Amino acid sequence: MFSYIIRRILYSVPILFGVIVITFVLFYVVHPPHSVALQMLGPKAKPEAIQNWLHNRGYDKPMFINTQAGRSLFDSQLCHHIKSLALFDLGKSLKTNEPIIDMFKRGAIPSLCITVPAFFLGITMAILAALFLVFVRESLLDVTGTILCVVSMSIPPMVYVIFGQWLFATQWSYFPAFGFIPGGFSMARFLALPICIMAFAGIGSDIRMYRAIFLEEARSDYVRTAYAKGLSARRVLLVHVFKNGMISLITLVVASLPLLIMGSLIIEDFFGIPGLGNLMINATRSADFTVIMAEVYVGSLLFLFGLLLTDICYAIADPRIRLK
Amino acid sequence: MIVKEGGRVKHCLPRMMRFFCGVFLLLPALLFLASCDNDPHPAALQQKKEDGTPWQVRYSALPEDPRSLDPQFSYDTLGHVVISLLYETLLDYKPFKTDSYDLIPCLAESMPERKQLPGGQESYLIHLKKGLYFHDDPCFEATHGIGREVVADDVAYAFKRIADPKVECPVFSTLEEYVVGLHEAYADAKKNGFFAYEKPLAGVEVLDKYTVRLTLTKAYPQIKYWLAMAFTAPVPHEAVDYYDGIPHDGKIRKQFKFHPVGTGPYYLADWKQNSLIRLERFRRYNATKFPDGGWAAADDARFKPLAGARLPFIDEIQMSIIRETIPSWVLFRQGYLDGSGISKDVFNTVLDTGRELTLDYKKRGIVLHKDPVPDTGYLIFNMDDPVFGKNKKLRQAISSAYDEDFANEVFANGIELNAQELLPPGVFGYQPDLKNPYKQHNLALAKKLMAGAGYPDGRDAKTGAQLQLTLDVTAESATARQAAEFDKSQIEQLGIQVKVSENLWDHLQEKIINGQFQLVTFGWEADYPDPENFFFLFYSKNIPPEGSNNTHYSNPGFDRIFEKMSSMDDSPERLELVHKLTAILNEDCPFVLTAHAVSFSLSQPWAQHIPSNPLAAYNAVKYATVDVAMRNEQQHQLNKPALWPLVTAAFLIAACAVYGIIWSLKRNV
Repeated sequence: MFSYIIRRILYSVPILFGVIVITFVLFYVVHPPHSVALQMLGPKAKPEAIQNWLHNRGYDKPMFINTQAGRSLFDSQLCHHIKSLALFDLGKSLKTNEPIIDMFKRGAIPSLCITVPAFFLGITMAILAALFLVFVRESLLDVTGTILCVVSMSIPPMVYVIFGQWLFATQWSYFPAFGFIPGGFSMARFLALPICIMAFAGIGSDIRMYRAIFLEEARSDYVRTAYAKGLSARRVLLVHVFKNGMISLITLVVASLPLLIMGSLIIEDFFGIPGLGNLMINATRSADFTVIMAEVYVGSLLFLFGLLLTDICYAIADPRIRLK
Repeated sequence: MIVKEGGRVKHCLPRMMRFFCGVFLLLPALLFLASCDNDPHPAALQQKKEDGTPWQVRYSALPEDPRSLDPQFSYDTLGHVVISLLYETLLDYKPFKTDSYDLIPCLAESMPERKQLPGGQESYLIHLKKGLYFHDDPCFEATHGIGREVVADDVAYAFKRIADPKVECPVFSTLEEYVVGLHEAYADAKKNGFFAYEKPLAGVEVLDKYTVRLTLTKAYPQIKYWLAMAFTAPVPHEAVDYYDGIPHDGKIRKQFKFHPVGTGPYYLADWKQNSLIRLERFRRYNATKFPDGGWAAADDARFKPLAGARLPFIDEIQMSIIRETIPSWVLFRQGYLDGSGISKDVFNTVLDTGRELTLDYKKRGIVLHKDPVPDTGYLIFNMDDPVFGKNKKLRQAISSAYDEDFANEVFANGIELNAQELLPPGVFGYQPDLKNPYKQHNLALAKKLMAGAGYPDGRDAKTGAQLQLTLDVTAESATARQAAEFDKSQIEQLGIQVKVSENLWDHLQEKIINGQFQLVTFGWEADYPDPENFFFLFYSKNIPPEGSNNTHYSNPGFDRIFEKMSSMDDSPERLELVHKLTAILNEDCPFVLTAHAVSFSLSQPWAQHIPSNPLAAYNAVKYATVDVAMRNEQQHQLNKPALWPLVTAAFLIAACAVYGIIWSLKRNV
């Protein structure tokens, strides 16, 4: 397994390199530094002020390779960018000039405060509902549940957010519609509604997927044997089917664990939670492309880590699996 | 559930399932219990003032964090909203005046004394008020954190920062033309790699502790407006040096732009990025007091008792960062925000067909404010274009065909003012009764002009070829794209074939600077309320890349009058020149004027609104009060938790649980 892990880490290097180059080029095409300077300084800024801004940040250097006499070939924007990211120097925000790593540290906790409880709540509700549908499979309840899941999947997440804010915050006045006060138990009242909405919004697709997994297990030979031995349906379902189904579930779930830290864009934006999702939206709107590129890079790292974690967990959960 | 198997009591649910059930039931219950009220705001800094009266807090919202609170750098509206409360300026706009832009002394003791100097130069002698202080801050190490007195050196320091390339002041290029020594100081700093703050600035002389003489290269009466802008606000060098963003003793200090230290009625108590900006009353603020007049007679009862009182009245201002309009609107309706704009989505529910508040909102005591914005929207022609730039009748025809009233109804809910001239209301020289002959939406006239231009029904009279026009837009949103399509449809009424070209902002700027366009959407909001700030956009010496004459308009007659007008004080003679310039532009038609914006906003009945012109609106808060008792009562009424859903939900859960148990026992599963 150790050699497998090392190999996977080495495979990640060209993937990350590709991510860095592609995002760098994309941003130059979509929003060149000159237009970022205009956005930062305002549309009334004079050309000299813009040039000064570009020079102070190194954006007057060549884009890919420096062919100027007396200058190093690698004294270019892309090379400096790659070097910084390789050393995990995420740079500074174009908008605020604050180190991006500090912004990440500040945003990670609020994001985790939403995504982790929402993740566990969502997965718990989905597993229980899926098990129940398997228990009552091929009955009217099962069909009704499946239809409800499809309906739930069809509704865009933003509708849940807006409806949830309208109903629970405005009409019934249970939760604050917006805001976040860090620290202490009072933080929970700002997180309750976004957590519930986030958990509920994705539940339709999860229930359907878990139901399919548990259903496949329920049709296995060992289950028929268990019934033949006289075990009750509840025991078979909750002890045997559930445990074996969890093996497949892990592969679906573990990959998304590292990405929990990146937060949820819509939820954080609409509820004013100052997490990493909010940071991304803020950076996108203000063309703060150093922050965007840093988030894409970190997201890629976490995604690759998540995939590796999935393989390892799968090998641990199922002794038949050997990583080579 | 517990069952007996072979005499042993066993739990039916395995351990993992019991864990999941616990999480499923316990977590939501805990979350719900914690959410006892829906107030989104953190607790106020205090409950009572020193004299025992309630602590007044004003709650407002910003769509995003300001980029910077450095007054010599910030040029955006968001920054200005906060900076205007943190930094006072030498001059300020008179409060309670909504239809004019009169200046009064603020940090200055009196209006600057103007003097003509040899060689066309002029000077302004500025006397600072004595006994004004900067906010208390650790940067004042010599006075153990107590803010020191504001002196003339601080005014000079502000101008030096404008000339410092590292500060990146966006208005340096404008001021260097007028303030003696500014250009040279900048050039030296670029050459040496640093700005020599210890060297005096030739055009900003410190005569004594409280007196500054500002010397200009030529007559520029508009300098008084710059003295009312944050760019020239005094800043303490201690704060700029102290807050350098570098680690000191292992701890990184914030940068000055995130830790402002000013002279304003409020200081920055807290700033959580993407969340909240909190300002607290500066107890030693004494630059201005509540005026003893100037308001409308109807407001006597409100304002007269406050005459001469120490400012500010509001103790704390919480500005929540709320990017989306929906949550912002929800909070306003719940009474948790003291003011709000009116987004397009809710416009028709808030206002009736007469553009007044609907009964629901009137009953709640909410007040509607309609404030003109000193801006003008227009489409500009490229006057270097061989077809449109050289054919006045063609431009006049397009302008005559454009139905601004319809555009106003569709895109602005009918609240904007149909622009008849370049100058917006309130600016010296604006003519409210002016009827621009090419802005009356007259299709018959437009077609006649097209024929006169040599393009009857949009076709070249000689060749029969259809006239083609490219309209360049940025189209950043669906509304902008729809507006572009509308503009296209208006011009196509004349038989002209219009192509809409969508551009990235950067590409459009390049096209404009290089003159590679025919017609482009544009607009201008006043930096200061003087006609010079609008007409300079058509002065030939400002054709890019030198300046902002993006239409590349060049008219020697216009230039002569502009040069004379721009250096004059307001007078009947100046008024005549301004009217001439308006007439020239209206006749030459280098643009298709659209509208002057009007800002519609709402305020809660407990949040006192101070009438003021748009350039003074942000710091008018220092004159306002909040009725805390009224707010608490109304918030309580508006946000009572509904009990029936909880009772219903509890009943349903109980019923399902009982049914499940009975069903399970019957099935003997």
